[in-house]
Amino acid sequence: MMNRTLVGFIKKELIQALRDPRMKFIIFMAPIVEMTVFGIAISNEVKNIRLAALFTANDFVLRDVYERAIDGGWFIPARAAGETTQDPFELVRSGDADAVLVPPEGGFTRALGRGGAQLQLLVDATNVTQAQSVESYMKAIIADTLQADLGASPRPPPIEFDVRVLFNPSLDTAIFMVPGVMTMLMVLTTLILANIGIVREKEMGTFEMLISAPISKSEVIFGKTLPYVLIGMTNLPLLLAIAMLVFHVPLRGSLIALVAATLAFVCTTVAMGTLISTFCQNQQQASMASFLFMFPAIMFSGLIFPIENMPVSVQWLAFIDPLAHYLSLLRNIMLRGGDLRTSAWHICVLFILAAASAAASFRRFRTTLS
Amino acid sequence: MTFAWPRAAAVARKEWFHIRRDPFTMTLALVMPLVMVVIYGVAIDFNVKNVRLSVSDSDQTQASRRLIDTFSSSGYFRVRRDFSPNQTVEDVVAERARAALIIPPQFEKDIWSGRTTRAQILLDGADNSTVVPVSQYVGAIQTLASERIAGADMTPPYDLRTRFLFNPELNSRWFIIPGVIVVIMAILSIFLTSMTVAREWENGSMELLLSTPVEPLEIIVGKAAPYAFLGALAVVFVYIIARAAFGVPFRGHIWVFGLGCLIFLLTYLAQGLFISIATKQQTLAMQFSMLTGMMPSVILSGFVFPIASMPKFFWYFTMLLPARWFMIISRHCFLEGSSFFELSVPFAALSLSCLGMTALAARRFKRTLE
Repeated sequence: MMNRTLVGFIKKELIQALRDPRMKFIIFMAPIVEMTVFGIAISNEVKNIRLAALFTANDFVLRDVYERAIDGGWFIPARAAGETTQDPFELVRSGDADAVLVPPEGGFTRALGRGGAQLQLLVDATNVTQAQSVESYMKAIIADTLQADLGASPRPPPIEFDVRVLFNPSLDTAIFMVPGVMTMLMVLTTLILANIGIVREKEMGTFEMLISAPISKSEVIFGKTLPYVLIGMTNLPLLLAIAMLVFHVPLRGSLIALVAATLAFVCTTVAMGTLISTFCQNQQQASMASFLFMFPAIMFSGLIFPIENMPVSVQWLAFIDPLAHYLSLLRNIMLRGGDLRTSAWHICVLFILAAASAAASFRRFRTTLS
Repeated sequence: MTFAWPRAAAVARKEWFHIRRDPFTMTLALVMPLVMVVIYGVAIDFNVKNVRLSVSDSDQTQASRRLIDTFSSSGYFRVRRDFSPNQTVEDVVAERARAALIIPPQFEKDIWSGRTTRAQILLDGADNSTVVPVSQYVGAIQTLASERIAGADMTPPYDLRTRFLFNPELNSRWFIIPGVIVVIMAILSIFLTSMTVAREWENGSMELLLSTPVEPLEIIVGKAAPYAFLGALAVVFVYIIARAAFGVPFRGHIWVFGLGCLIFLLTYLAQGLFISIATKQQTLAMQFSMLTGMMPSVILSGFVFPIASMPKFFWYFTMLLPARWFMIISRHCFLEGSSFFELSVPFAALSLSCLGMTALAARRFKRTLE
């Protein structure tokens, strides 16, 4: 298979892909920049919620709740904090606050003394996850404050859960997000470059020339796709270095497993890119089609929403989503320490997906060419 | 020579023919919004359910069984029984479970003797999408179990009433679909323009066009107009699906939203144009559109990852992104019913970036001509 024609072909393809310095930037620098930026920027945690509380001067319990909330780090003061005259609903609607604590008539402190105190929490629920987090943060803060202020240490709950977060006990956001960001960046370079690379030849008409040249069809196809597998693989050390050196994400499993997983993934995405290219006539179509593939692929990968939360029919889509498998592999190998059977299973699925897409694109090429 | 609308219209007509001749692009431009909205509407739910919980019960008493029952009847967990604590940990490592509950021996005895009894919960810290919600559920179940099993009175001395404003049922779709509109517009406008204009440069037909009596500005306007129309069409399409199929409310003024759409569209058209002039090559144009248009508008715009939770630097950095401002406008128009005056800051910022981008594109275009 690995004959001289093919080697020459791959060399030519690599030279062509990397000739333009801007392309070099896109292939090697952009993933590094994006990895760093996204790794720092994004998290599922909710922070800096603007809180307002409408307390009077002698309502010391509510003031304490408010101050504790601010000190705790999740909340920051809203612009109009502490003024009792404002309509709390307007505060949220105008965007001055994300959450407002509204005491009952006469203040929260006095109501507590009377018993059966009611405290209202108005939350901007435009962002659903944020609203839920605000409520649960607030419950915890109020419970703590009452315990400290009234000395009314309520009897500890008879049943207590000792919650431990495995693999990331300090809840480091970067550790949570880095595998997902790596998955996204790996697919961006490989799938799109392979797809566009082939479609460009088609658009320019040089693909027909290649076919008429004295080389076999499989040489053409491998010659056009293997370079992108190579380019994709060179991204691994770069991204891994950022993950480990900048974000201190551990690599608890074996490096060999990680390389095998990445190879399987890159083969799959390049094969899928090739398959998509057989449907496209020009680069504009190719770019739209890649996007049409990538958007659901990212959504079903389990990066933003857990897969088991989706309807069963959609879970099947997640099963043929290479991103879902690679994300599982990265989480498994980097964070959990790499259960061999789990890794092997995902790698197998990836190779089957790769083989299926490769076979399908071979067929499509044959029919379009002959 | 001055700007003449008829000539710009002629260029636009030619471009429109080009789009119509290429049904693939047209279909993609209209199918993509449909796919994205349906994916979000049907498949995505932020409220995490069906969390696989692996349980090891070393107590095997009525109390421990009722504890397990509390988990399974909460609706959030799917319980799976195991024999030993080690096995539950293995389940988490091998992705068979997202969380583990380990009930110690003497669980029931401890409850009756009045001591606090501790059960251990292990969460899969490799999966960022479930840890936060699951730890919130666990807190609620702790209270519930203490009441139901140990008969403790856990009612706090106050009653926290949370009112979720604008989205009382915490419907994820209401949050996500106004955001999808932003992402779709960003992608359509930036990709379609940058790729088409880059193709003209690549083919050399741009030089040909420039040597005709058509003014450069007329070419730009003429080329961009059909894509602006396509983008606007996609918005109307998504708006109808959002309202009719998913019942997302629209509480603001349609003209405020329309104005926001228009400015946003122009900004990204200008950006697409700028990219195409700077790269003059489709492959690069696509990669740069991806890098500067799509990725930031999906990840850094507040679409799913809240900007407030990002480090301070990003809070300022994302101000440069038109998508961040239009995201605010879109969500406020749909859910909060804000007036134009209340949205003056996002509108000002969006207009500013629109002007800046247009100026940048125009200057670059002029420089290329000289």
